Amino acid sequence: MDFELSEQQNMLKTMARDFLSVECNKVKVRDLEESDTNYDPKMWSKMAELGWLGLIFPEQYGGTGADLLDLVILMEEMGRNITPGPFFATVALCAIPIMKFGNKRQQANYLTSIAEGKSIWSLAIEERHGGYEASHINCSADYDGKHFVINGEKMFVPYAHIADYFLVVCNTGKDAGGDGGLTTFIVKAKSRGVKIEKISTFAGDGQCRVRFRNVKVSRSDVLGRINSGRKVLDMIMQWGTVLKCAEVSGACQAVLEMTNNYAKERIQFDKPIGSLMVIQHQLVDMFTDIEGLQYLVYYAAWLLTQGVKADVQISIAKAKANKVYQRACIDGVKIHGAIGFTMDHDLGCYFRRIKTAEFMLGDTSLHLEKIASGLGL
Amino acid sequence: MDFKFGEKEERLREEIRQFAGVELAGRNTIAGMEEESNDEDWEFAMSMSRKLARKGWLTMAWPKEYGGQGASYFEQHVYADEASYWGIPGTSMGVSGIGWVGLSLMLFGSDEQKKKYIPLIASGDPDGVWCTAYSEPNAGSDFANIQTRAVKSGDEYILNGQKIWTSCAHRARWCWMAVRTDASVKKKQHGISLMIVDMKSPGIIIKPILNYAGVHIFNEFFLDNVRVPVTNLVGTENRGWYHLMQSLAFERHSMAPQFFGSARRILEFIVKYARETTYNGKTLASDPIVRNKIAERAIELDTLKLFGYEITWKMSRGVIPVYEAARNKAYCDFFMQRLATTGTEIIGAYSQIDRASRWPRIMGLITRLYMMFPGLSIAAGTDEIQKNIIGQFKLGLPRAY
Ligand SMILES: Cc1cc2nc3c(=O)[nH]c(=O)nc-3n(C[C@H](O)[C@H](O)[C@H](O)COP(=O)(O)OP(=O)(O)OC[C@H]3O[C@@H](n4cnc5c(N)ncnc54)[C@H](O)[C@@H]3O)c2cc1C
Repeated sequence: MDFELSEQQNMLKTMARDFLSVECNKVKVRDLEESDTNYDPKMWSKMAELGWLGLIFPEQYGGTGADLLDLVILMEEMGRNITPGPFFATVALCAIPIMKFGNKRQQANYLTSIAEGKSIWSLAIEERHGGYEASHINCSADYDGKHFVINGEKMFVPYAHIADYFLVVCNTGKDAGGDGGLTTFIVKAKSRGVKIEKISTFAGDGQCRVRFRNVKVSRSDVLGRINSGRKVLDMIMQWGTVLKCAEVSGACQAVLEMTNNYAKERIQFDKPIGSLMVIQHQLVDMFTDIEGLQYLVYYAAWLLTQGVKADVQISIAKAKANKVYQRACIDGVKIHGAIGFTMDHDLGCYFRRIKTAEFMLGDTSLHLEKIASGLGL
Repeated sequence: MDFKFGEKEERLREEIRQFAGVELAGRNTIAGMEEESNDEDWEFAMSMSRKLARKGWLTMAWPKEYGGQGASYFEQHVYADEASYWGIPGTSMGVSGIGWVGLSLMLFGSDEQKKKYIPLIASGDPDGVWCTAYSEPNAGSDFANIQTRAVKSGDEYILNGQKIWTSCAHRARWCWMAVRTDASVKKKQHGISLMIVDMKSPGIIIKPILNYAGVHIFNEFFLDNVRVPVTNLVGTENRGWYHLMQSLAFERHSMAPQFFGSARRILEFIVKYARETTYNGKTLASDPIVRNKIAERAIELDTLKLFGYEITWKMSRGVIPVYEAARNKAYCDFFMQRLATTGTEIIGAYSQIDRASRWPRIMGLITRLYMMFPGLSIAAGTDEIQKNIIGQFKLGLPRAY
C-alpha cells in the first residue's frame, strides 16, 4: 500500500502547476470562453513541447511511455487551473482508443502527429438525447460496397470546430438487432458532408453539433473491427471517465482552497467568517468530500493500470465527482457572498463548468445504475 | 381553518392571467430575475410597469391617497403569485421603489418627500425607478459597518465613499442610501442615516459588475463629494438603522408568493417535459428516479405555499412578521437550489446551453434559475443570516456570533 506520488509524478505536478499558472490565468480562461476557437494554439504547441500530449504514448510514436496514473496527475492539475482547449478530447477521448484499438498504420499516422501538437481530435458519440448508452446511437454507417456512408447527427462534440479528425461512433448493426452493431470510424473533419455548428454553452468550451450527410469513409478508417464498437465505447467510457474525474477532482481542490483562504481573510462582525462554526463545518464537509473524491479517482485509475475490471469503481468516482463538484461550487459561492457571484472572480469559472462535467461521459443516474448492476442488483 | 382565497382574489387571478396572455405574447422569463441587464428587456419591463400602473396593480398595496388601491394582503398575495407565475416583467421596477421605498416614505418620510416621490413610483415611469445602496465592500452581512460618510455643510450633506452590489443602479433615477452621519459613536448601528440621492448628481460614478453568467444586475457605486440637500434626509438623522429595520420588513413578505409563482410554473414545465420526452423508448415520466425527484420538489412547493399563506394571513391580522420572513427567505433559497438542480438533471446535457443558443430546453428557464440561485440566496441576506434570525428570535437561542 502506498498513497504517495512517485518522484516523477511530483515533478510533473509541480511543472504543470507552474506552467499553467503562468500560461493560463483566469483572464485568459475567460477570454478563451468568449473567443471563436476556444483554445490557444501557442499554448497547445507548448504543451506538445512539454511532452503532455504524448505523455502516455509509446516512445516510438513520440510519447514518453508514462502510465495512466501519471496522466491522472496531469489532468488533476489541468482541472485545478482550468485549462480550456482540446486536450481532454484529443488525448483522453481519441488518442487512448487509438492506442488500444488502432492498427500499426493508424497508430503511426495519428499518434505521432498528436504528440507533436499537429492534430486535434474529438469524439462524436452523444446524439439528440445527450446520453452515452449504446442503444442511443442512431447515427448510421452503411456499406455501399466500396465505402461506409455515414448519416446522422451528433451533439455536444467537444471542440469539433477546431478538430482535424473525429472518432465517430456509428450504428452498423441495425439488421443485427439489439445494440451489438456499433463501429467507430476515423473521419476527417473536412470531409464532404460534415457540418459543424457551435453550441453556445455557459462554459464557453466549444461544444458543437456535428451533422454527417452521406459522409464517405473507407474500410481502412475503421477503428478496431466492424461491429466491435461496443468494446471501443466501453474502453472510452472507462479511461475517459477516470480522466474526467481527475480533472473534476483538481477543480474541486481549487474551489476548496480559494474558499478556505477567503474564509480566513473575510472579516464581518469583527472576525473572520471562518471562525463561525457554520462556515467551518461547511468547509470541513467540503474538504472531506473532496479528499474522498481524490482517493476514489486514484483508486479507479490504479485498478485500470492493473488490468483489473474497474467498472464499478469508475462509476463510483464519476457519481461522486458529479455531486462533490456541484456542492463545492455552490457552497463556495455562498461562502464568498456576492463577490463569488461575479464574472471577475475565479470561482465563477468553476461554477460555469459544473453541468458540462456532470453530463460528460454519463450523468449521475447512469453511473448509480452501473454501480447497482455491478453489485448484482 | 380555511385555506382558500375569496372570490375577489380569484377574480383578480383570472384578470392577471388574461393580462399576461395578451401582453406577454409568448415571452418567457422568470419574473424579476434579470430584466435590468439588457436594454431591450428593460424597455419591455418598463412598458409593462406602465400598463400595470394603469391597471392599478403596480402599487395595489398602497393606500388610495398615494396612488394605490388599498388592496388587502390576500389580494397582494395573489398578485405576487400570479404575476410571477406568468413571469410578467416590470412588476418591481428595479425592486426598491415598489418593494420598500414608497412604503417607508409613507411611514417616516417628510410631506414634501411623499408628495414628490410616491406618485412617481406609482406611475410606473422610468423616473420612478429606484436602487438601494446599503452594502459596501466591508459591510455585507454586517451592514451596520458602513463607512460612506455624509458630512453636513450648510443646507447640504457632502457624501464620500463607496457602495457595492447596488442592483439596478444603472437604471435608477433615485437611490435609497444608508450613510454614516456620525463616526464618533461606539455602537456601529448608531450614527447611520437614510438619504434620497439623485442619481444625476455630479460625483457619482457607477461601474457595472457582471455576474458569472455575464448578466448585468449589480454595480459598483462611487461617491466623490456628492452634494445632497438636507431635505433629502429620510426620517431622523442618526436613526437610520431603526428606519432601515422597518424598511427591510417590507422587503421580505412578498418573497414567498413570488417565488412560489415562478416555481409552480417551472415545476409544471418539468412535469410536462418528463411526460413528453422519451429516453430508451420510455418516457422520462415512467422512470421511478425522475418521478421521485419531481415528487420531492412538489412537497417543497406546497411547504413554501403554506409558509407564504401563513405570513399573509398573519399580516392581515396585524402581526409584523419577524422570523416568518427569515424562514421564508431561507426556505426559498433551499427550494430554489433543489428545483434548479432537479431541473438540470432532467434536461441533462442541455442544461449547459445558454438560452441564446438554438437548443434551449424548457425555454432556458431551468438554466437561468440554475445560474441565478446562488446569487439570489445571497441577496437580501444570506441563508446563514436568516437562520441566525430564526434561531435568536423564534427559538430563543443565544446569539451565536
Ligand atoms: C444578486 C445580488 C444583488 C444585490 N443587490 C443589492 C442591492 O441592491 N443593494 C445592496 O445594498 N446590496 C445588494 N446586494 C448585497 C447583499 O446584500 C450582500 O451580498 C449580502 O448582504 C452578503 O454580504 P457579502 O456579500 O458581503 O457576504 P459576507 O457578509 O462577507 O458573507 C460571506 C459568508 O459569511 C457568512 N456570514 C457572514 N456573517 C455571518 C454570521 N454572523 N453568521 C453566519 N454566517 C455569516 C455569510 O452567510 C456568507 O456565507 C446584492 C447581492 C447580490 C448577490
